[in-house]
Amino acid sequence: MSILAVHPGAYYHIESLEGARYAGCFDRLVRPEDLAAERLEEHKVVLIPCRTPADRMLAHRARLADYLGNGGTIVATGESESQLFLPGITFTPQPTNFWWWLTPGADLGVRIAAPGHALFRRLAQRDVTWHLHGWFDPPPGVEVLAVNGEGRPILYVDEVTTRGRMIITSLDPFYHHGSHFMPATTRFLDGFLPWMREEFDPR
Amino acid sequence: MTILFIHSHYGPLPAPYEAAVADGRLLGVREVELTSDHFEAATGLITTTHLDQVGFLACRPALTRLLDRGGRWFFNGHLLRIFVEGLGIYEPIRGARRPDYVLTRLNPHAIFDGIEQRSLEENRGVAGFYGRGHNPLPGGGLAVNGIGPDLLPIDWEWRRPAGGRIFSHAGNDLGGMGGEGGPGALLAERVVSWCEGRIGS
Repeated sequence: MSILAVHPGAYYHIESLEGARYAGCFDRLVRPEDLAAERLEEHKVVLIPCRTPADRMLAHRARLADYLGNGGTIVATGESESQLFLPGITFTPQPTNFWWWLTPGADLGVRIAAPGHALFRRLAQRDVTWHLHGWFDPPPGVEVLAVNGEGRPILYVDEVTTRGRMIITSLDPFYHHGSHFMPATTRFLDGFLPWMREEFDPR
Repeated sequence: MTILFIHSHYGPLPAPYEAAVADGRLLGVREVELTSDHFEAATGLITTTHLDQVGFLACRPALTRLLDRGGRWFFNGHLLRIFVEGLGIYEPIRGARRPDYVLTRLNPHAIFDGIEQRSLEENRGVAGFYGRGHNPLPGGGLAVNGIGPDLLPIDWEWRRPAGGRIFSHAGNDLGGMGGEGGPGALLAERVVSWCEGRIGS
């Protein structure tokens, strides 16, 4: 079993998925167009990184749903319009304020909602705080891990919509880490990716 | 004469290029639908930071033919695959501080004519949006703008010995620079004009 990452091929995907820092976090990379030939059931996790063009994933909706139905785990990060190709996601976009931190004493409002969750042994609140692209209205019963300033979910684990597990976030760490821009996104991946391995595919 | 705008992201074309598309000067093509026929009918192309560089490798022969017959390619972003002999892999500035983002005009260029380069350095007081590194300057290339105290060539034009020209901007898409009301629209218009060969002779 292994961790499979979808590789859409933009420079930020190449840097994040192939670069030395995180290459070891993924056992196999697959192009969206090659997903049909991939035996998803052989993978513990399928990761879909930020800014994966949704129209390159639409053809695989049923395949991803089957994988989840068989107990698989999908991780999907922000700005990919995941609601178009994954089940049970209701997303509301919001304008992005890149400059909030310029105001002295400003607080973006992101909060860890489940401090006892194992992920937060590796991540602090500052590691999930850079900017916001939107929030979710997930179904009852999901585990919300982080919320925005209005208390709306921006990172959650859904084990109720399917027999599998979806870890969904509107945060976009792969894009910014891969752009060498925003150190918090690198800190996020420094914690999130080892947690993902430890939790779902321990060696 | 067709200039291709290779549309790699999901969603509408970037607003600064809409007018050129409406005028028929620019043809937006989803990258996943690109064929060699698109290249054969084109005299220039624009690619964005979202270019699927892994997939674009398959376009190398068509791209080379376009350049060989004198075509022009405006590239935005970090080069992490080699599409044309003579190009090199992007080099980020490691551990950058504010002085590392100072921009300096090194040589005049029609795309930037009348635009003060330092005016592109910050967006609402924050530097780094323009770019944070450089794609290596090919031998014989013209460095247009430098970044940081070492004047690393963040923007350059290369007249390829075998034919054609490449302009590299190693940062966020040039047409989006300066925010609302900034010079992005003017820069986008000039990028199209440069690809058409109307400026930068």
